[in-house]
Amino acid sequence: MSDGPDSGRPTFTLVEVPDTTPVDPDMAPMFSAPVQDGKRRKGDIFRPGPGPMVEFRNVVKTYDGNSRGLDGVSLGIGTGEFVFLVGPSGSGKSTFIRLIIRELRPTSGSVTVGGRDLGELRRSKVPYLRRAIGCVFQDFRLLPDRTAAENVAYALQVTGHSQKEVRRRVPEILSLVGLDDKFDRLPRELSGGEQQRVSIARALVNHPRLLIADEPTGNLDPETSLGIMDLLLRINRTGTTVLVATHDQHTVDRMQMRVIALEAGRVVRDEESAGYHEDTGEVLA
Amino acid sequence: MRIGMFFREALRSIRANAAISVAATVTALIAVFILGAFIPSFMYVRSAVDAQTAKVDVDVYIADTATVPQVNALREKLDGLRTDGTVAAVTYVSKDDALRIMKERLRDPSVLDELPSNPLPAKFNVQPTEAENADVIVAAVTNDPALDPTEGIVYPESTADRLLTAAKFVQWAGFVLIGILLLAAVLLIGNTIRLSIFARRREVEVMRLVGATNWFIRWPFMIEGVICGLVGAVVAVGMLWGIKVGVVDAWAAGADTALTKTGSAAGTIAFPLLTVVLVGAGALLGAVGSGITLRRFLKV
Ligand SMILES: Nc1ncnc2c1ncn2[C@@H]1O[C@H](COP(=O)(O)OP(=O)(O)OP(=O)(O)O)[C@@H](O)[C@H]1O
Ligand SMILES: [Mg+2]
Repeated sequence: MSDGPDSGRPTFTLVEVPDTTPVDPDMAPMFSAPVQDGKRRKGDIFRPGPGPMVEFRNVVKTYDGNSRGLDGVSLGIGTGEFVFLVGPSGSGKSTFIRLIIRELRPTSGSVTVGGRDLGELRRSKVPYLRRAIGCVFQDFRLLPDRTAAENVAYALQVTGHSQKEVRRRVPEILSLVGLDDKFDRLPRELSGGEQQRVSIARALVNHPRLLIADEPTGNLDPETSLGIMDLLLRINRTGTTVLVATHDQHTVDRMQMRVIALEAGRVVRDEESAGYHEDTGEVLA
Repeated sequence: MRIGMFFREALRSIRANAAISVAATVTALIAVFILGAFIPSFMYVRSAVDAQTAKVDVDVYIADTATVPQVNALREKLDGLRTDGTVAAVTYVSKDDALRIMKERLRDPSVLDELPSNPLPAKFNVQPTEAENADVIVAAVTNDPALDPTEGIVYPESTADRLLTAAKFVQWAGFVLIGILLLAAVLLIGNTIRLSIFARRREVEVMRLVGATNWFIRWPFMIEGVICGLVGAVVAVGMLWGIKVGVVDAWAAGADTALTKTGSAAGTIAFPLLTVVLVGAGALLGAVGSGITLRRFLKV
């Protein structure tokens, strides 16, 4: 690993960007609250309003062959919240996430994101939904014949950023996740954890309003995990809603955020400031 | 700026999928080559047939006994056919002209000198705009009082019919063949690009998931198809040029000059124009092929 455990994780220190006049939103500090001036967010399809960022109403998702992904989930995630989604393997966490980015559509029930009912969202609008959401996929989903830098750049190019902007932002964000010296590596030349961090960088680079991470630390050592979680928390403090699906019990227990627990596609627990397991008084290992 | 980026994307994907790009280019090359060999041949045959059908003219012979008003009436009738577009030209050939022409044609014109008077009737030579119109002309002037009773109306009925049938056949066969060729080319290129996209299906899926619009994904693929089509077309045109210069022109020069002179009305498409058509066809094949194929993969 490039960042030794003894290095004090300098790679995760937020890049200090001097405060500038907010005239040019792109000159704003890296993770200022999402810019609302209408220019950079031209494709933004979220409807402004006091409603929750994500709302599930009686959502059932049945895969082909009767496999149940979600089995009647109703819940809301408020704008600016930090939420952990926990549960055993196969409990429906990834299904929940894939419904939010409309990679999947519910069998019944409705999913609303940023005030938009995804069931009514036209197919041509789906790219704009996804641009407003940053998603770290459990299986990374990097473009195999593009380098780390090019993978991150792609997310910027999609949103119409200039070449100049791309050259400025990509190294910045890759440094932030601790990949300073791996810009030109192809995914297959990176370790699992490094690929995961490229995926995280790509999700962050567009300053999403909603950041979703499916097992973002699944392949990382405890030190790096801590760094990534720290980063997600900082991003959350700038006003970004963050949803993290994880098996990482230590992190969840340490951070004491809202926890939604799934089991067999149902919500079995939804608590503010909670740990990985239900607090039954038993001593956690 | 965005075009530049799409272009770079297209080039990178050609490089990353070299084998498939070469296959698509070769497909375009073959398709354009066949098209390029066929179009001039087809146009040559058509124009040869046209040249023949253009010779289907109608001779309306005038009786020596016809009065001047009768002849004028006949002339007006034929002029009327010209104004309604049935007839392209009407030429009056007097008895003297007819004799002169006859003299020119004969190897020994002195035989005519022995005739006591000019036996040849005057005539109107009528050129129909279309070979089919010969019937209309004949119908219009049959029974005209000015007609020469023995010669009447002369036109190469059976020849015209046969030529017309041949011309129509050549024309339709040509269209059908070109259609089949184009369809085959589009399917082939489409199939090649389908392979390429199938190989990159996951990639396209990821692009969709990070918020790329369909056109953002489509443009590089279309440009890629156009580049393959263009390169294939240019190589095919080069090969056709070689064949034209090395084989066809040489053959034409060596062929019987008398023959080529009599058939000189038949021509074919000029090579520069053919080049433009073929290069355009190559680009279009590439764009359509990739455009159609991509549709199915953009549904995520
Ligand atoms: N494409 C699919 N086709 C059929 N069944 C599926 C599909 N994807 C998921 N499932 C099933 O849906 C259920 C929920 O899967 P999901 O991926 O949401 O679980 P998860 O909580 O993310 O698990 P993990 O922690 O292992 O990632 C599982 O039983 C799984 O087998
Ligand atoms: Mg999962």
